[in-house]
Amino acid sequence: MPDATTDFLKGTLDLMVLKTLSWAPAHGYGIARWIEQCTGDVLQVEEGSLYPALHKLEERGLILAEWGITEHNRRAKFYRLTAAGKKQLALSRDYWARFAGAVFKVLETAPTR
Amino acid sequence: MLDPQQTPAPNAQRAATWRRYLRFWGPRAEADVDDELAFHIDMRSREYMERGMTEADARRAATARLGDLAAARTECIAITSRRERRMTRAQLVDAFVQDVRFGWRTLGRQKGWSIVAGVTLALGIGANTAVFSVVNSLLLHPLPYPEAGRIAFVYQEPTEGNSTGMRVFVNPDPELVALWRANARSFEALEPYVSSDQALRASDGTQSTVRSAWVLPSFAAFTGTRPLIGRVFTGDDVAQGGHVVVLSEPFWRSRYGGDSTVLGKSVTLDRKVFTVVGVMPAAYRLPRLSDAVSDVWVPLDLRAKQRGLSVIGRRRPNVTMADAARELNAIYTRSDLAKGDHGEFRTKLSAPSELVSFRQSLVLLSSAVGLVLLIACGNVAHLLLARTAARQRELAIRAALGASRVRIVRQLLTESLLLGLAGCIGGALVGWLGLHALVAMRPDSLPELAEARIDRATLLVTAALAAVTGLVVGALGAMHALRHSAHDALKAGALSLSQTRGQRRLRSLLVVSEMAVSTVLLVGATLLVRSIVHLQTIDPGFDPRGLYAVQVNLPRTTYPTPAARRTFTQQLADRIRTAPGVRAVTIAAGAPPSRSFTIGALQVEGTPDPKPGTTGFVDYNGVSPDFFRTMGIKLLEGTTLTDTTRQARQALVNAGFAKKYWPGQSALGRRFRVVYDGKEEWTTIVGVVADAFTGGLTSEASTPMYYTSGQDLFEPVLIVRAAAGADPIANVRALMTQADASLGPPTISNIESALQRSVAGPRFTMLLLVVFTMLALVLAAVGLYGVMAYAVAQQTREIGIRIALGATRSTIAKTVLRRGVAMAFAGAVVGVLGARWGSKLLENMLYGVQRTDSASFSIGVLVLMLTAVAACLVPMRRAVSVDPLVSIKAD
Repeated sequence: MPDATTDFLKGTLDLMVLKTLSWAPAHGYGIARWIEQCTGDVLQVEEGSLYPALHKLEERGLILAEWGITEHNRRAKFYRLTAAGKKQLALSRDYWARFAGAVFKVLETAPTR
Repeated sequence: MLDPQQTPAPNAQRAATWRRYLRFWGPRAEADVDDELAFHIDMRSREYMERGMTEADARRAATARLGDLAAARTECIAITSRRERRMTRAQLVDAFVQDVRFGWRTLGRQKGWSIVAGVTLALGIGANTAVFSVVNSLLLHPLPYPEAGRIAFVYQEPTEGNSTGMRVFVNPDPELVALWRANARSFEALEPYVSSDQALRASDGTQSTVRSAWVLPSFAAFTGTRPLIGRVFTGDDVAQGGHVVVLSEPFWRSRYGGDSTVLGKSVTLDRKVFTVVGVMPAAYRLPRLSDAVSDVWVPLDLRAKQRGLSVIGRRRPNVTMADAARELNAIYTRSDLAKGDHGEFRTKLSAPSELVSFRQSLVLLSSAVGLVLLIACGNVAHLLLARTAARQRELAIRAALGASRVRIVRQLLTESLLLGLAGCIGGALVGWLGLHALVAMRPDSLPELAEARIDRATLLVTAALAAVTGLVVGALGAMHALRHSAHDALKAGALSLSQTRGQRRLRSLLVVSEMAVSTVLLVGATLLVRSIVHLQTIDPGFDPRGLYAVQVNLPRTTYPTPAARRTFTQQLADRIRTAPGVRAVTIAAGAPPSRSFTIGALQVEGTPDPKPGTTGFVDYNGVSPDFFRTMGIKLLEGTTLTDTTRQARQALVNAGFAKKYWPGQSALGRRFRVVYDGKEEWTTIVGVVADAFTGGLTSEASTPMYYTSGQDLFEPVLIVRAAAGADPIANVRALMTQADASLGPPTISNIESALQRSVAGPRFTMLLLVVFTMLALVLAAVGLYGVMAYAVAQQTREIGIRIALGATRSTIAKTVLRRGVAMAFAGAVVGVLGARWGSKLLENMLYGVQRTDSASFSIGVLVLMLTAVAACLVPMRRAVSVDPLVSIKAD
């Protein structure tokens, strides 16, 4: 369903992934679930782009992957935030906050006649 | 519900380690991505199933939610494999940096050791760098022309009967050169040239002798040179009589102060007027490998039948030397010229490097420095072995702590490569210094040595040598380190025992090899030294002191016939004879050190006629009756020449000639002839003179026969004997100007120093070989010393016990000495065998000494043994001064 909402989400997917990992290391499914739960299932992570996004972040050195075992004794690939990732998260968050604030202002302000 | 806070297990165990190892055998990106995605689908389906879906539905929904699964998978794999490749590289670099840093620290900790090893390598590599830079400049790039690889000298040689022991060049006829240039398709260019001295009179009236070179207009393009100012010749210049001249840059600068108004001025060369049209840069040179540079360039006209042409050509790409020679030869044999020649000539091509006079010496010296490097390698390998032994424990601990063998070997190799790097830098420096010393010491007879440079190719070779040396030496050490298990090494007591056997054998082998190589060099150097001693103490058969050769350059324009030249020379000789400080003057075809040849086959009366067409080269000299008195050549039997006309067909032969053909009998009255077309008359021997090396001390034989020079001297030479202490040069010059003011100053050379010069080349080679041999010997001695010192240090305890048990000091000393001498002797035996084979390289460089000369072999071995004994002295003293009490208590 490639509508405006999902496109808009793509740009923010990285930010949400980084934020999620800032709490604790997680595997891909865990990250997806966390975002869904946080937003009360409003935002459905488009899983087709989640994994490429994760791999790209890993390539950029913002997150680190390692194979580990889940509590159900399953092998899974866990991601965690690197120092560079933490820095990037702070930057993106500020930017996002200002951006969202600006958009919100536009939406809230009515022209005066 | 899954709690994302808990799903990731922060303390998740690491996945099975074998998986990580699997990654070594190729990229695991695909499997990883598949596993990851499968896990995701599993988890999602489980979630759906918990919400009440059937398993099949749940799976389908989970997969559907992933969207375009294949695309995601491909993208992930691409990203991951890219990253992994980069990481592998980064890891390698990282490990390498770590190795280098560690190696550097290790080397730094043992400064003395590292310096000895580094200096040894630098000397070995440096010697090779210096010699290679000469080889590179002289043999690999002998001529400064473009496409040098396709350039060849073109000449002719007799098909048979060359008995001179030298390469004989027959200059091709100008007509033949023209034919070649018109018809040969194997060549892009064929350039004839000739040079000679001319008298130059400038417009201001000053007179000087210049070196003129005659070339065709196309020569400038052939050499890829453009004029500095003005222009080069054109075909029109040649057609109009060629009265134009191009100056060389050095001549222009020294003579005209670099004044560009020189263009258009006229100069007189041998009484002909030429107009200056251009100046060529100093790099514009004749393809002479050793000749002086030309001062002026004049157009060559092939129609003018100028003799003595040399030819150089550039083959077309992909034409072999053999094919090109075949084509030129075919053109020659088809031409009328071939029918006119009595003898048979064959067209030959030679690469410029084949004609480098120093070639054989360079091959010899390259081999010598190669051997020096081998010894240096041996020493460093030995040093590394000793150090690896000392580090056995450190290596064992590292192995026990989990360093893989590969990692340890890599560490050792990195260290030896670091040493190699030090050797490379040091070697480049030593090579640079060495080359400068070599060029500074070069004899006058080898001016081309000054061209040697250290260029990029030389530095590449230096680096390659260093890298190979480092790897070989390091591999030797590493192999040895690996052979001893961590278990053995950690048991301290077993340490000394476990390693001694194999190590001792390897070290002994190294030292014996070094000794063998040194013996080869020692024998070679001794052979050359003895040869030079022979040359310098040999009786030349004449008295060269105060002898001068005066070569008068008589232009063909004013002295067209041999008779005219002869008359002038005779008159000049008469004038000089009466000059103060001159004791005698004679006219000859050639003055020492030079050889003249006549073409044909020598036939002594009473022997069968030689096969027709045999074109041997027979040494002779055309002389006047007073030649022998002037030269100081003793007349042993008979009389000197009595007629000056050649009518009586008289000859004198030397003692060697007489003894060869009439052993035990008198040669007087015997007759011989040099057969060319079979109609020659017999020449009668009227006297026998002592053997005289007028051809130079390095010529194989003295001149065997002397004819009356008669009237037909091609270019007569005056030989002047000055009174003791007198210098007749100024007088001769003045007299010559009196005789004909238009002539340029004559070329006057001191025969004694010219004779010395003929020995200078061989002496230089000897000197270099001696230097390299000394270097090799010192390195080998250091090697032997090192092994002996190490052995004594290892056996301190054993020696202590033996002394305690009553062994006398002299017994101990003998034991040590015996071992050292035994190794040296073993090396000497192998070396003597090697030298017998290797002395082939000296074949044509020895004078008066056989290459199997037993004295040289004995001296070589003796020097080696003495050096070995000297190298054992210090370890011996250390052994006898072992204190039994201290040594037994130690450890």
